[in-house]
Amino acid sequence: MPDARDRAGRAASSLMPAPHIGVRTSAARMTWLVSLCLLPAAGWGVFLFGTPALIVLAFSIGTAVLAELASTLPFGRFTLRDGSALLTGCIVGLLMPADAPAYVPAAASAFAILVVKQSFGGLGRNWMNPAMGGVVFAFLSWSGPMSQWIAPRGGTVQGAVVPPLEALRAALAAPGARGTTPLAVLSNAGFRFSDLDSRVLGWINSHVLAPLGTALPPGAFDVLVGHVAGGIGTVSAPLLLLGAWFLLSRGIIRWHLPVFYVGTFGLLAAIFGGLGTGQGWLAGGPGFHLLSGSLVLGAFFAAPDPVTSPLTNRGRCMIGIVLGVLTFFLRFFGSLGDGVAASIVLGNCAAPLVDRWTFRRRTGHQEGIA
Amino acid sequence: MTSGKALWNSILSENPRALLFLGLCPAIAVSVRVIDALWMSAGVILVLVLSGLAMALLSGESAGAEAVFAPGGAESATARGSLAAGWMRALLITSFLTASFEAGLLALAPTASAALGIYAPLIAVNCLVRGRGMSGFPHSSPGGSMAAALGRGIGFAGSLVLIALVREALGAGTITLFPVGGFGGTIGIPILVEQPVRALGFAGGGLLCLGYLAGAARLISPHAAASSASGRAAE
Repeated sequence: MPDARDRAGRAASSLMPAPHIGVRTSAARMTWLVSLCLLPAAGWGVFLFGTPALIVLAFSIGTAVLAELASTLPFGRFTLRDGSALLTGCIVGLLMPADAPAYVPAAASAFAILVVKQSFGGLGRNWMNPAMGGVVFAFLSWSGPMSQWIAPRGGTVQGAVVPPLEALRAALAAPGARGTTPLAVLSNAGFRFSDLDSRVLGWINSHVLAPLGTALPPGAFDVLVGHVAGGIGTVSAPLLLLGAWFLLSRGIIRWHLPVFYVGTFGLLAAIFGGLGTGQGWLAGGPGFHLLSGSLVLGAFFAAPDPVTSPLTNRGRCMIGIVLGVLTFFLRFFGSLGDGVAASIVLGNCAAPLVDRWTFRRRTGHQEGIA
Repeated sequence: MTSGKALWNSILSENPRALLFLGLCPAIAVSVRVIDALWMSAGVILVLVLSGLAMALLSGESAGAEAVFAPGGAESATARGSLAAGWMRALLITSFLTASFEAGLLALAPTASAALGIYAPLIAVNCLVRGRGMSGFPHSSPGGSMAAALGRGIGFAGSLVLIALVREALGAGTITLFPVGGFGGTIGIPILVEQPVRALGFAGGGLLCLGYLAGAARLISPHAAASSASGRAAE
C-alpha cells in the first residue's frame, strides 16, 4: 500500500533548492477534510433512518458549534474556522441512534466541547477525544435513550428494533444459544433480516456460490452494506472505509493505529470470541464484529486524532494493540455498548505515557556525543 | 488573632485545596445525596470543634504538634519526641471523638448511619488532615482555636453540600433533605427526575464537580491560587 510516508520519503529524496512552493496543508484543512470524508456514511444514515437522523445530527452539530462560540467568544477568540467543533458534533451525532431524544446529542456535544475540550484549553490541549468523551458521557447517563433504534428503510420490523450486535449479545446472554458464527446464532434466535437481504443472498447463493459448494448465511448482505439498525453513521462500514481510504491516501491519518487496532481486535475476536459463551474456539465471527458497532468509525476517524494519539509510529502501533485488546474485552465481556468509545477514551489516557516510552530524545543531549 | 477573624480566615483560605487533595475519598462518596453530605458535614464540624477545644486546653504540652505537617521541622531528638507525642494526642482525641459521633449516629439516626457507612469512621481522617485546626493554634485561647476549627468545618461543609447539591440535582433529579412533618424529605426536580444525568452520580462525576469547584475558587480568590502554587512544602 503506498502510504504517506513512502510519498514523503520520495519527496524528501527529490528535494530541490529554493524557491519552494508551499503545500496548502493546515490543521484546519485536515479537519475539514475529515468531516468531508464522513459525509458518505452520514448520508447513508440519513437515507436509512430519515428525518429523525437529520434532527439528531442537527442538534449534535448545532450544540457543538454554539458551545464552541459560547466558550471562545467571551475571550475574544473565534475558532469555528478550524472546523474541529463541527467535526466533534458530527462524530457525536453519527454515533447516536436515530431515535435518541434531542437532548441526548445536544448534551453529549456540549459536554464534549465545554468539558473535554475547552476546560483543558481548547483544540490541541485536550487529552481525550472530545467526541468520544461526549458519547461515553451520554451512554453512562442515558443508556435507555441511547438504545432507541429505528428500523432501516426497507427493513423487517419484528418487535423491538435492535441492531444485530445488540441482538447477538442478548441471544448469547440467554441460555441455550446455538450456532458457531454470530449470524448463525442470530438466525437461530429468530432475528429477521430484510427481504432485500434474502433476495440478494438467494440470487448469489444459487447463481454464484452453489457451483462452488458453499453459501452465505442470512444477514451477510445486510451486515456488509449496513442495511441494519444502529448508530446513524456507523452502520455502513464500506462507506466509512471509503472515507478512511481517502484520508490514508492523502496522508491525513497514518495507517499504524487503525490497522493495529482493527487487526488486534479481529484476531482476538476470531480466536477467543466464542469462548465466553460456549461457542468454542475460533467461533467469534471476526467479520461480523468488525462490521458492526462503531469499530470502523472509531478506528479510522476518532482513534487517530492527532491531538490524543501518540506522536511516534511505534507508539501508534502500541496504542492500536491496547485499543484492540480493550475493545475485545469490553465488547465480549462488558456492558458498555460495543466497547469502542470507552476503549478510545481509556486509550487516550495512555497516549502520553506511550509517548514518553517511545519518543526518541535528540542524541545531541547525551554526554560525549554533542 | 481574634476569634472572628480566625473563623473567617479558615472558612475562606484553607478550604478548596484541602478538600481537593486530602478528604477526597469520603467527599466523593458522600456527595451523591445532599442529606449524606449534611450528616458528614455535621460530624466533621463537631469533631473539629471539640478536638480544637481539647488541643487548645492541652496547648502547653502540644506545641510540637504544630510541626506535624512540616517535614524537616523536627531537628532534635527532643523535638521529634514532642512531635510524636503531639501527633499521638491529636490522633487519639480525633479518633475518640469520631467514634463517639459514630456511636451516637448509630443510636439516634440509624438510617443516616447506614447511609454514611464506612465513611463515618473516615471523619477521623478528614479531621486529621484538616487537623491544623486542632494543632494549628496551640498558643491561642480555646475560643480562638474553636473558632478556627469551626471555620474549617464550615468551609468543608459548604463545599461538600454544594457539590452534593449539583450532583444530586443533576445526577438523580432530586434533592434529599430531612423529612419534616408531611414533607417526605425528597424534592423532585421536574424534568431531570425523568432523565437524570446519571454520569454525575458516579465517582467520576464527583471528581468533575470537585475540579470545577477548585477552579472556581482559584478564579475568585487569587490568593488561594498563589498559596497553592507555592506548594505544599510551605505548610
